[in-house]
Order: sequence, then structure tokens, then C-alpha cells
Amino acid sequence: MSLRRLLGFDTHKEKYAYGNDPDHGYTAAAKIPDRWVPTTCGYCSVGCGMQIGVREGRAVAVRGDERHPVNLGKLCPKGLSEHYSISAASRARRPLLRSPKGHLAPVGWDEAIGIMVEQFRKVQAERGPSALGVVSTGQLVTEEFYALGKLVQLGLGTNTYDGNTTLCMASAVAGYKRSFGSDGPPGAYEDFERADVVFLIGANIADNHPILCHRLERNPRKTVVVADPRVSKTARMADLYLPLKPRSDIALLNGMAHILIRAGLIDLDFVEAHTSGFEALKRHLEKYTPERVASVTGLGEEQVYRAALTYGRAKAPLLAWTMGVNHSTKGTETVNAINNLALLTGNIGRAGASPFSITGQCNAMGTREAGFTASMPGYRKFESAADRQELARLWNIDAGRVPRARGRAYPDIVEACVQGEVRALWVIATNPLVSFPNVDVLRQGFDNLDFLVVQDGFHPTPTTEIADLVLPAAVWGEKEGTYTNSERRVSKVNKAVEPPGEARPDFDIFMAVAEQLGVRDELYPGWTGPEDAFEEWRRVSAGRLCDYSGLSYELLERHQGVQWPFGPKAAKAVNGSRPPTSRLYEDGQFQTGDGRAVLFAVEWEPYPEQPTKKYPYVLNTGRTVEHWHTRTKTREVEILERMSPSAWLEMNPRDARSLGLKPHDRVTVESPRDQIEDLELRITEIVAPGQVFMPFHYEEKNSNRLTQSAFDPISREPNYKQAAVRVVRSGPRTAR
Amino acid sequence: MSIAAAPGQLAGNPFTILGAAAPSRAERGLEGASPLIPDIPLEDGQQYRFHFDMSKCVGCKCCEVACAEQNNNPAHVSWRRVGEVEGGVYPHTQRLHLSMGCNHCLDPSCMTGCPTRAYTKDTRTGIVLHDADACIGCEYCIWNCPYSVPAFNDERGVVGKCDMCHGRLAEGDAPACVDACPSEALAIEIVDVDQWRSEYRDEANAPGLPSADDTISTTRVTLPEVMPALPEQTDHHRVRPAKPHYSLVLMTVLTQLSISGFASAWLLKLFGGTAAVPAAVVTLALGLAAFAASPLHLGRPALAPLAIRNLRSSWLSREILGLSAFGVAASVYAAMLVADLPGIETVGAVASGIGMFAMYATSRIYLVPGRPSWNSAHTVAEFFLTGAMLGPLLLGALGAMPADLLHSSAACAAIGNILVEIWRFLHFVRSEDHERKATARLLSGPLARLFLLRLGLVAAGAVALPVRGLPVAGFALAAAGALLGRYLFFVSVVPKNMALPFLERRAAA
Repeated sequence: MSLRRLLGFDTHKEKYAYGNDPDHGYTAAAKIPDRWVPTTCGYCSVGCGMQIGVREGRAVAVRGDERHPVNLGKLCPKGLSEHYSISAASRARRPLLRSPKGHLAPVGWDEAIGIMVEQFRKVQAERGPSALGVVSTGQLVTEEFYALGKLVQLGLGTNTYDGNTTLCMASAVAGYKRSFGSDGPPGAYEDFERADVVFLIGANIADNHPILCHRLERNPRKTVVVADPRVSKTARMADLYLPLKPRSDIALLNGMAHILIRAGLIDLDFVEAHTSGFEALKRHLEKYTPERVASVTGLGEEQVYRAALTYGRAKAPLLAWTMGVNHSTKGTETVNAINNLALLTGNIGRAGASPFSITGQCNAMGTREAGFTASMPGYRKFESAADRQELARLWNIDAGRVPRARGRAYPDIVEACVQGEVRALWVIATNPLVSFPNVDVLRQGFDNLDFLVVQDGFHPTPTTEIADLVLPAAVWGEKEGTYTNSERRVSKVNKAVEPPGEARPDFDIFMAVAEQLGVRDELYPGWTGPEDAFEEWRRVSAGRLCDYSGLSYELLERHQGVQWPFGPKAAKAVNGSRPPTSRLYEDGQFQTGDGRAVLFAVEWEPYPEQPTKKYPYVLNTGRTVEHWHTRTKTREVEILERMSPSAWLEMNPRDARSLGLKPHDRVTVESPRDQIEDLELRITEIVAPGQVFMPFHYEEKNSNRLTQSAFDPISREPNYKQAAVRVVRSGPRTAR
Repeated sequence: MSIAAAPGQLAGNPFTILGAAAPSRAERGLEGASPLIPDIPLEDGQQYRFHFDMSKCVGCKCCEVACAEQNNNPAHVSWRRVGEVEGGVYPHTQRLHLSMGCNHCLDPSCMTGCPTRAYTKDTRTGIVLHDADACIGCEYCIWNCPYSVPAFNDERGVVGKCDMCHGRLAEGDAPACVDACPSEALAIEIVDVDQWRSEYRDEANAPGLPSADDTISTTRVTLPEVMPALPEQTDHHRVRPAKPHYSLVLMTVLTQLSISGFASAWLLKLFGGTAAVPAAVVTLALGLAAFAASPLHLGRPALAPLAIRNLRSSWLSREILGLSAFGVAASVYAAMLVADLPGIETVGAVASGIGMFAMYATSRIYLVPGRPSWNSAHTVAEFFLTGAMLGPLLLGALGAMPADLLHSSAACAAIGNILVEIWRFLHFVRSEDHERKATARLLSGPLARLFLLRLGLVAAGAVALPVRGLPVAGFALAAAGALLGRYLFFVSVVPKNMALPFLERRAAA
């Protein structure tokens, strides 16, 4: 501190001066940039339009874009401080290679890529092509996903390829595919404003997607129903709150369908014209009497009736969900039960009426559409010969090179690492050592690997720390491309500043790997940047449900994002004006062989790890508004980190009394797998007796040391919730 | 709300904005004024206020982040905070959130207490404005505000607080927090001042907020239709010791010692005692040293002289004037004493009187509604008794006579002091106030040993040792006890505050 400051003559007046921003009015002068760069937020898949303020090559401010149709100028606290994540001290700046002595040391890019390809080829030569695995993400731009898919499946020739999207959206994807014949959320955010009933199940939008609360706030005639075992911030917004028991949602949804069928509150014309499987479903639902449903869900029969009738009598109800549904061994089937309700009542393809999956990551949708993991690009099916041939033709390659089946899903890649079947792994923009359930198993699998490459914008993270090779990537704000949000809106992402040190856009890294493999000209003919990928992806998606062919970067910039499907016809129709909101299945024609949606008879089952005498509490996991995923970005944003600096455990006062615990006591939570010590105890009526809750963002107190290796058999999504645990006071020796 | 008035005509623009002239909202491609601020100009007798709708707030903290960005504040300086209140039994649980900046009170205690008149209440808008240039960083406004709104910025050495984004309002833009709120829980309204003065109780009070009676907050709070029966602030189980303010510990104890020692010396001389000259000089020197050191606790020590600008309403200004005047009068007395001039008794009486006033002014500084454990007669009694104990003890230690008289009066003061402390503690244990109860919890919990030590030191130093012929050791122990007591006085205070979140804010590990 200077003497002038110590004496009080210097108060840093300039730093704290105000001025007038030409676009945003009176504000701190330090936040007035040289230029504003329009872009799309890089946190969640709400996909808010925003601007990054750049001053002397640094991102100094962000602003919500008032003209953007998604967020109308609003941003959540993470978005409002996103510029700080770019300049974080923990950014990865140079490629790092593990030396023979065991520590990570800087290497040049050429050497890094050379060693990487050499190691990959060696493993594949010794153990077969699929002994190389790739775990990708929902964080890249679509152009990068598209390029990466080709690189992995065609260039590296392995289908041991999946993304961390399997940890969050896989059940929604699988559920949509089963019910409607294709992935693709049918609704739009406008439905939050236009629905007369908004039914949220397992979705805490107030913490996880706050900008959707803004859209909901604009709806003057809504009735909000929230089903959640925890009295979340969202539950407090409900007109009808359904505090159901953990994982009893299928029983509730089936019970609602049962009541609606009996009460004649279904749209029989729609059911007959556009669905199959009704009779079987009807018979199946007979046993889901309100009485039984009440006993399974812990709700009163009257509440089950009210839930059913509120939904059934609505003219245009929105049924939206997130992780409460997806993070489950029954996730896919729960999505089917949700879709059933929408189909039975004909509430799909209309303004307000939709079964709507609110996605997690900023571009989970992009990888679903273009990524070549669970599907082939353009929602094409591995098992369809016609789809394979079409792709081969578009890519000008032999159809035999297109894989005939999806490779291992994420949990199966981890299992194959444990078994020694996968020997080399390339992890891109994800942090599995924090995010994967029962993480000790994953750690064991990764320890088995001959070579682990981690490509990330940040270092150290728990995952980069154990890598053999760390590739430093550019992050949001440093590269160009597109994100697609939950409502299928494709929005432009732009570069505002240069990446730090030697970090490169993921796109460039993929091109360098292709170059080294000798496949660049074949797979990416004439490509120089992301727009080339976008142009090819447009052609590849043409005529598909997720049709991008009428889009262009220019159009996306002009309208702050456009929803797919958007073919040449749509492009012509809008003729320069902003395209209207679109919904899928407006004509009742689905993507199944016969054009009919499928009604699935799905069964409620108890969750796999029931509480026992030794582990009497059910552990629920979730998020807090200040943090994003494994906190690699948000822990670097001081204002967010200060607001929520550490994990806590929520417990009902009745349970706390019986354990003799007081608020702020430090407790140890133990599951059959592992334990977490020194958690701050929050005693609260937010959680029911017998249940406890903790946030999953914190590597230091990682809830995934407690969670189970239990996966949805269809989607392979983990059952992050409902682990059986016990809670004891942390001993003085265990407290840190 | 319709948009009638042209932006910028809203309330006229009474503010000076640095740099380029503001482009109008129309020039920025926006239609009319923000719908979240009033569309009509203020009339006489009206002011702006915040409206907060508790039923809409989802606790997302967008307002906090937007505020920090608007004002370029570092992450640990919050001009707007979001807190939590919880009540009900599962599943009928309610967690309510509270978002508060400055309440732009009708009777702003930050302003009345501010010694430098850094605060003004804008005559046109009613916004309570703070001038960083005039601020010396004494933090007295933080003590005075029952909502703990003003925030000290250690980088600058001054406090700062929410100014309702006056520069934005003037241009027809909503304040940053209002603009950022995705739930439309915040808005700016116009309030009729006289009407509000008689009606504020219903709408300015809310669970998680201190009583609006202290300062008449203008923030109007809309509560949810159904409220939990016994809403509890989720931060109430977390009580932490406050800042120790070491320089104030030293300064208050030493000035009390000095004034009382001086007055005792004067009385001794008056009634024929001995050793008045060294006593007067030593006590004067101690007092002057303490007074000279006192600016060290300021964020801007060199600007300390500005602190006498608000004699009209600030006890801090009065204290400083009082101590200065005491210093002058006591110096004159000391000089006359050394030179053996006539009329010295009168000067001594005047100096002692001024000293007593200064000591009283010091104690009055702490009688603020925002700090309940300070805000009682105990504080005044404790300050005077500390002086009454230490002054004679010092004289005794310096060899002044008659020692018996000095020692017995010090012992009486010490016993009084101990009784006051115990009485105060018991009073707080039984108090209904969260803050006073919490002070008692601190004194009987993490601070219990220090509290007992403090009482023991005073008893030993002022009662037991002097009569056993150990006046110097006695004085040392008693002074240590007094300093420890003053330390506890500062760290055991639990300020009034709005509800805060369950998790304590802290920097990344």
C-alpha cells in the first residue's frame, strides 16, 4: 500500500469513477469497454444472449442482450460475472507432459500432438481400435463437436466415444427417441409465458436456470405445479407443491394418467390419430390407483387428484423437467411417462403445450445433434444402413467406414478402463474426477491407463492433475462457433479476446491432431475455421429434424439466434424478419416409422439403494445458483466463490435432534462407498425427515465419493441421487 | 406501467456525471424510460424509494453481482446483499429471500452520525448520497446504520454505499439491481414523505429486517400472502466476534485514564495533596499521545481534522472537539502549574469539566441503535468508571498523596465497574433481542475466559494490590484489565443487520 493511500490522500478515485457507456448508460468507468462483442453465455443451456465488453484486449464487463429472444437482457449471477472466468489465474497456458520423474512439464504443441497420436496409435495397434476412448463434453461449440466426431469415429477409428452429456441429458435423449422416434425437445421457452399450467418435475429452475424464472414471471395466467422431494427455491414458487418421496415420480405420472383416463380428460382423437400403444398403456395403468400412488409417493390422494386435474384440465400445459428425472436408473422411463401424459392429452406441438427437457450445458444440444456419440450427426441412427450410406455419400467416404453401432457409453468406458480394455483416453473439457459417480472407481480406471490426455481451459483441475498430457484450450470468449440451447435455438458464440499463453481453440487442436494423423484433407477438405465446419454441418443436417441448412452465421447474428428446424424454405419464409417461435410435431407427425408417437407402459420401482439401519438417510444431490458443475470456472469468480465458498449438508431438524446436532456443526457423511468429512450442517425444514441434501460442485467435499455406480440401462445415465448414507459429527481429528 | 414522461425529464438531472454526456435512451435504441422506475417526475414532499417484493425474489443474487459490476466494487464490498429467512415445517416450509441495498431512510443515522458531513440527503430525490472525497473512513456510519449498509472499502480507505444508481435514474434507466432482477422483485417508486412517516410501520418492516423505527427506512416490502409462523434468520446461529479496533481500545482507555487522572490531580492540588505536577504532566502526556494516535484507525488518517465538521449532530465530532479542547486547557493548566501562576484552580476546573464532557461524548458515540449491546447506560457507566478507577491508581502509582484516598476511590470504581459488567451480562442473557443475546453468548462462549480474566485483573489490580503496597503493579494489572475489557466491548458487539445467508461469506481457501 502506498504512503499516499495510507495517509488517505489517494482513494483510487479514477478506478472508482463513473462514466457513460454509449450503449448501457451510467456505470463504473472501468466497465466501459472499447467495444462490445455479441455472444451467447457459456454456462447453461438456457442460452442467454449477451455482450462481452473488451478494453485493451481484456474482457472487462458483460451485459445481457436486451434484444435477445431468450433472456431479454437478463442474466443470472454466473452470466453477470462470466468475464472473470476468462482471466482466471487457473487457466491452462501451455501443453504439459508428464516427465519420467512424474511431474508435468511444459512441451511445445508439435511435440504434444506428436506424442499424443503416437501413444494413441500404439495402444490401438496393440489392443485394437476401441482400446482408445474419448470422453467429450457439452461445452464446445457445435462446429467443434462436428469436427471432433469425424476425427474420433473416422480419423482415430474408435467408437469408444461418449460425452459428459451422458451424465446429465442422456435419459431425456433416450426418452424422446423412444416416445417420438427422435431426440429434440419439442417446445420453446415461450411456452413458459404462454402455458396456463407449468408443471415442473425434478427441476429447480430458480437455482439452475434463473432466467427461466424471468420468462415464467412474464406469464400472467399461470398455475405453477412443482414436484420435488426438497422444498427448493422453485417449490416456493408453486401454486401446488407436491412433496413426493424420492424417485416416486413414475408412480405420480402414471397415477395422473390413470385419473385422466378414468375422468375422460384425455384427447382420444389425438391418441387415436397420432399414437400407438394406448390400449396396452391403459391396461397397465389400471393398477396405478390414486390410493396406491398416494402410498408410493407419500402424497395425499387429494394431491394426486389435484395434480392430475390441474394438468388434465389445462388448455396448454407445459411439463418440464431436469435432473430430478434424468439422474436415475429409471430416467428414460420417467421421461416416457412424462411424454405419455403429454400425448394422452394432446399437449404437444402447440404454444404452451409441450413435454420439455430443460438441458444442462451450454451446448449439450449441439453435441446431441452433431456430435457422433449416441447418434450419428443429424440424429441419424447407427443401425440404419440408409443413414450410414447417406453420411458416407455426404462425406465422400466408403460406407464401410461408418460405424454400425454406438460404442461404449461413458460409464462403460470407465468400466472398460477398470477392466484394462481401454488403455488410452482423451478427456475434453470435462472434469470426471469430480463429476463421475462413485468417483473412486473412475480413479482406479484412470490409474490403469497407459496414456491419459486431458484437454481443458483450466489447470490444475483434479483431472488435469493426473493427466499424462494436458492440452490448454481456449474457452468461452476466446473462440467462435455456435451453441444450441434447450429450445433448439442456434446462437452465435464469438471471440472477444485472445486465449492466454499458448492455449488454442479446441477446433485448432482437433485440426492439428487430424494433420498428425494424416486425415485432415480427407475429413476436413479446405477447412480453415469453424465456419467451414458449420457450412458442412448445414449440408449434413439438411432434411433432418435438426435441419440447420437454412441458417448462416450472418442470419444468426442478425436475429440473435434462430431455432431449428430451419431449412431453405423457412429461410425464404422469414424474408429478413425475425423467425417466429417454432415447435416440433405441430402436425402430429412423429419421427417413428409409422409417424405415430409411442405410448410406453412403464413401471415404478423402488430406487436401488434403499436406506438401511446402518445407512438410514437418503442423500439427494443438486446445485446452488452461484456455481457451475465442478466449479472450475466459478471458483475463479471471486464474487460467486465468496457467496458460496464451501459445501454443506441439509438435514431436517427432527433428524438433527435425534443425532444431537446443532446448526453449523461439522459432520461426516458416509455411504457404503466412502465418506466426506467436515461438512457444515444446515438444519432446515427444506428437506424431509430421513433425507439429506448436499451440493455437488465442490471437489474438496465431493458428493461423488458417496454416490453409486448405478446406471439407467437404456440411457446409461447415472443415478446420482438417493444414495444411502449415515451422518455423524466429525471428530476433532477429522475436522480440517 | 405505461411510459409517459420522456426519459431524462423524469426528475430532471440533479447530478454531475463524469466524462461524456449521457446518450439518451432513445439514442441507445430504447423506448421511453425503464418500466421499473416511475414514469412521472417527483413533486415537492416526495422522494424515490425501493420496492422489494419478497414473494417474487428467488434469491438468485443477480442484484448483488450487477451492483458490484455497476460500481466496480471488489467482491468483498457489497452495496447490496441477499439474505434468507426460513420458517414452517416440512413440507410447508418457506425460505424467503431478502435483497437490500440502502433504504434511503427519512432519518438517516449514517448522516447524523457522520463527523465530516460526507452524507447528504438529496433534497430533490431523497437519495442518501455519500461523498467519498469528504469521507475519512472512520466507519462510524457503519455502526450507526441499523441495517449495516455502509461498507468499508479497504482499498480506498473510505466507506461507500448504494446511491440508488442516481446517475442511471436521472437518465431514465433503472438502477443496476432493479435492471438485473429476473423475477422483477425490485423496482423504484415515489413515496410521499409525510404520509410515509405516519404509515411506514406496516410496509417498511419485514422478517429479517431490523425495526424501521430507528431511521424510518423508505424501502417498501411486499410480503408473500402466506407467511411462516416463526420466520428465523438463517444466519442467527452463526455469531462471530466483531472487529477489535485496537487503536480505539487504546485511545478510549487512555483518554479516560488521562482525563480522570488529570481531574484527580487537579482535585488533589485543590485539597492540598502532593505530587500534582508530575501527575498532571504524565496524564496530559498520555492523553495527548492517545489522541494523537487515534487517527490511526481511520481509513484516511491525514484527513482527521475534517472530523469536527458535524458538531450539530455527530457525537464523534463533539468528542473530537471535546478532546482537543481538553488537550488545550489541560496544557494551559500544566504550564501554569509548572510556572506556578495564579488562577490555576479555575483553569483546572474548566479543563476537568471539558474532559468530563469529552468522556461523555466518547461514550455517546457508542449509544447507537445499530449496536444494541453498546446502546445502553452501561456503556456510559463503564467508561466513566474505567476513568475513575485508572486515574487515581495512576496517581497513586506516581506517588501522589494521600494514597489511601486514591486507592479507596479506585477500589470503589473498580467494584462498580465489575458490578456494571456483570449486570450488563445478565441483562443481555435475559434480553429479547437477538443481538444482545448473541453478545451474551459470545461472552459466555468463545470469549468467556477473557471475560473472567478481565474481571479478575480489575479486581486484583484496583482492589487487592494497592492496599498491599503494590500500587505500580496494581495500576498495571488494572490497566490491562481495562484494556481487555474494552477489547471485549468491541469484539462482543453483534450489530443489527438484515438477514444474511446461512453460509458465511469468505474468500476462497
